Amino acid sequence: MSAASVMARVDRDRARSWLQDYGVYVGVAAIVLFNVVFTPGFVSLENFRVQAVQAAPIVVVALGMALVIATGGIDLSVGAVMALSAAFVSLYLGYGPLVSVLVALLVGAVAGAVNGTIVAVAGVQAIIVTLAMMIAGRGLALVLVPQLEGIRNPALREFGSGSVAGVPYVVWVAALMVALVLFLVRRTLFGRRLVAVGGNRRAAELSGLPVRRTLLLVYTLCGALAAVAGVMTTARLQASDPNSVGLLIELSAITAVVVGGTPLSGGRVRVAGTVAGAILMQLLVATLIKHNLPPSWTQMAQTAVIIAAVYVARERGRS
Amino acid sequence: MQHDPQETEPRRPRPALAAAAAAAAVLLAVTACARTEEDASEDDGGGGGGEGQEQVLDEAAAGDETCTLDEYGGEGFDLTDVRVGFSQSEAESNPFRITETQSIVDEAEERGVDLITSNAQSDFAQQINDVQDLMSQGAEVLIIAPLNSDGWKPVLDEAAAEDIPIITVDRAINGTACEDFVTFIGSDFVEQGRRAADQMIDALDGEGEVAVLLGAAGNNVTTERTEGFQERIEAEAPGIEIVFEQSGDFTREGGQSVTEQLVQSEPDIDGIYAQNDEMGIGAVTALNGAGKESGEVSIVTVDGTEEAVQHIVDGWIHGVVESNPRFGPLAFEAAESFGAGEEVGTELIITDRAYDPSNAEEELPHAY
Repeated sequence: MSAASVMARVDRDRARSWLQDYGVYVGVAAIVLFNVVFTPGFVSLENFRVQAVQAAPIVVVALGMALVIATGGIDLSVGAVMALSAAFVSLYLGYGPLVSVLVALLVGAVAGAVNGTIVAVAGVQAIIVTLAMMIAGRGLALVLVPQLEGIRNPALREFGSGSVAGVPYVVWVAALMVALVLFLVRRTLFGRRLVAVGGNRRAAELSGLPVRRTLLLVYTLCGALAAVAGVMTTARLQASDPNSVGLLIELSAITAVVVGGTPLSGGRVRVAGTVAGAILMQLLVATLIKHNLPPSWTQMAQTAVIIAAVYVARERGRS
Repeated sequence: MQHDPQETEPRRPRPALAAAAAAAAVLLAVTACARTEEDASEDDGGGGGGEGQEQVLDEAAAGDETCTLDEYGGEGFDLTDVRVGFSQSEAESNPFRITETQSIVDEAEERGVDLITSNAQSDFAQQINDVQDLMSQGAEVLIIAPLNSDGWKPVLDEAAAEDIPIITVDRAINGTACEDFVTFIGSDFVEQGRRAADQMIDALDGEGEVAVLLGAAGNNVTTERTEGFQERIEAEAPGIEIVFEQSGDFTREGGQSVTEQLVQSEPDIDGIYAQNDEMGIGAVTALNGAGKESGEVSIVTVDGTEEAVQHIVDGWIHGVVESNPRFGPLAFEAAESFGAGEEVGTELIITDRAYDPSNAEEELPHAY
């Protein structure tokens, strides 16, 4: 191989690597630019608030998903865990809003811990374990709260639709979760371990890392974050609706993570990229709705984005 | 499919953690249970027997054809001597399905009929199995709320071989009346769309821009409620323009999210036609959140749930076209007449009520 062709290949790898890491920002910039030019009323504080509020649950779910995917796993049960948390908010509302929210978060964490235990200890594949939880979790939520129940609580209502300093509460919470996950990933031992487990589980085990404990914690965290999103959605809707809350959100979340530069094979996690990926998913849906395009286009557009992202990641993986 | 995930654990059982976690979940569920039952009994709005809530047939809309025992085949029966099977299509998680099932169950109880029921949870293959199960459990009359209109031929043949009369409610089955089934009892969804259009025209004085919140894609209810609405608007109100059509999937969340987008891109929208109450209520929440006043945007919905009719009283919704789910009385009446050898119409279309600001308060008790 000549020196020139080696150089060309190095350049190509760099380009791919750059695209995987920063492509999502280009995507967000492009879709924002498109809307600024072609969508009436896009540049307004009110519109930004709507997009941020609608993106918040996707961002929060995607954060948990990013951690799980970084360990080489996947969590299909996030939507069902949202439904479970919504159900428990409604069931425990009689004890006050704070108790009901705490119980809902606890239930999410427990569901995540069950996933984590089976994945980490029994060694069953994550896709199977979380698929079972996806079905059983929504089933249980529907048994507990069979039909939509209105939530008439001033505090929860304020949380769902109110703002402080001009920024909606749910957006503050999402930002707090982003900060928390960034801190975990960048500053803690746990953050380094989860990436090590995803990179090479065998090597991590051999070097004495607490692989099982790390996995258990990652899935628990993912469940708890999904529950946060469930509480957000319930507060915004002013109703607990286990039948439709979080339906298909796993797809948006996985897409956000992959588009954001975290490879499905694990070993690496991009938190900021994931947030940008979730925002991209939200803006994609919003743009198609605002331009009154058929809803089936949304699914096709989402699919196109995920295929493009996986393609970029694959090219890089091979080289 | 809904096994406890624990059971899938094949090797190296280390159950302590998992068991503790599962126990915690069960404990939480159990402590909460007493509360759900209380809550459920409080807002038990369903039921079929209430005065003035029963379905009434629309004589003009019904088809002319009839069916008798002689034409269909089989022997006469008395309802109290036979077992009746009811196959529900969707989970009882919305007011329509809850009220529909409750109405059938209540009417059976009232008449002292031996009723067995099943629910296919929106799975068509499951519903076919359900109907076969009902037959194998000795059902001699079948009431079916079909999930789809097509794909019923094999089961219908099976039922026909045993001369089991079939009554379909709320959605039709594609087949030959009085051969594949005895009768269809349901609403006219196209007509519901037309009547929603009438309410919209009334609300806007025939002038303005309207958005449509569509139901789930690929569903005949969605298509027919759209068709009737468009047809009537085009014919009667050229001043009304439909500028926006997006799906809210028949859910409150969908109606809310889409409306939040809508008010940003079309802030001057005059009316919203929501194809069910849930999406309409979601639209109300969205408009409220965007700082609109009640009545600023005229909302028209279809279904007739209590919450939606209450919103008319409060001024947020302009009108609701009813889709009455209380099929019990008419279905058993049809079965009784048929069993006695009398003529039964093969297409029984019911009269749906309509709620608007003039009657909402008074009619609120009729909502489900």
